Amino acid sequence: MLRAARGQQHAQATKRSWNVVVFSVGGMKLAARTEDVGGVSPWTESIPVPSRTPFVHAMLKRDNHVMPVYDLAARLSRTLQGDPLLCLVARHLDGPMAICIDADVPSLETVDATAIRPNGRGDIETLGSVTIGENDVAIVALQRLGRSRQDAVRS
Amino acid sequence: MSLRGRHNSTNMLVETASFLVVRLGVSYVALPADGVRGVLTQTEAGSEPAVTAAGTVYQPVDLAQRLSVAANLSGLEMRIVLYSTGHSHGAICVEQVVGLADVERKDCLPLPPQFQRDERNWFGGMMLYQDQLVLILNPLWVLGELADVVPVSVGQTEQMVAVTSAEIGGSC
Repeated sequence: MLRAARGQQHAQATKRSWNVVVFSVGGMKLAARTEDVGGVSPWTESIPVPSRTPFVHAMLKRDNHVMPVYDLAARLSRTLQGDPLLCLVARHLDGPMAICIDADVPSLETVDATAIRPNGRGDIETLGSVTIGENDVAIVALQRLGRSRQDAVRS
Repeated sequence: MSLRGRHNSTNMLVETASFLVVRLGVSYVALPADGVRGVLTQTEAGSEPAVTAAGTVYQPVDLAQRLSVAANLSGLEMRIVLYSTGHSHGAICVEQVVGLADVERKDCLPLPPQFQRDERNWFGGMMLYQDQLVLILNPLWVLGELADVVPVSVGQTEQMVAVTSAEIGGSC
């Protein structure tokens, strides 16, 4: 019983806070849930792929694996900053997807779930937004990126 | 058991598909080799847009334009690939013929589902060849047997590519 109670307490504590990766695209701070991020590594040259899917026009080759590239900077009308640029691997529902981000090394933050606000911005799929430092940071729904759907914060 | 018999049974375990790999600008694409009827230089093809070979007329196909790819089609390595699905025949201008590739079917990969639009009609899959990412063309689309305007779901495309593969003698 005691063990179960501890488990419940732990689950409640987990629900109350979110671990997020904070990164930037063209100087704009964004966040993503850590479980939606497959890793961050140096960006390597992508391979153009003829495509009419918005913002999906390339693939990235890593050893014998290839994954599609999502041009988040283009979607946000931003120009990537710094050198060398970094690659954030999104754990998208359709499979891993590479996103080129600024050279600023991402940081890990823990945010209180109650501090996450619904995000009204229509330019990107988000899970809400939160204030980190002095910045209003959108939490990007990496799993659904490109599916043109807004997600409300679930209580 | 003869040696020949053993050899045949080994072959059956490894299914391969053959492709002609070509380059258009920075894009490497592949055509199932079964449909290739010839590879000509511009001199051999002549000055007419359509190419006639062995009594068959191959209509010109501007693949670079259809894929919206910038390609230099005036270079020395430019070739015209005569291609047939059995129903349609096309003379496809490419910047370079890279080579023939025999690929195990397990090494032919589907186009990632994040690619959601017309390109699912264009490409039946992809593979790695000489460390290059090569997109496997759908011959029906290349030769204009498929309209671009009809959006298809991932499942529909896979069915369509399977039909295409069967029609041209098998691909990935």
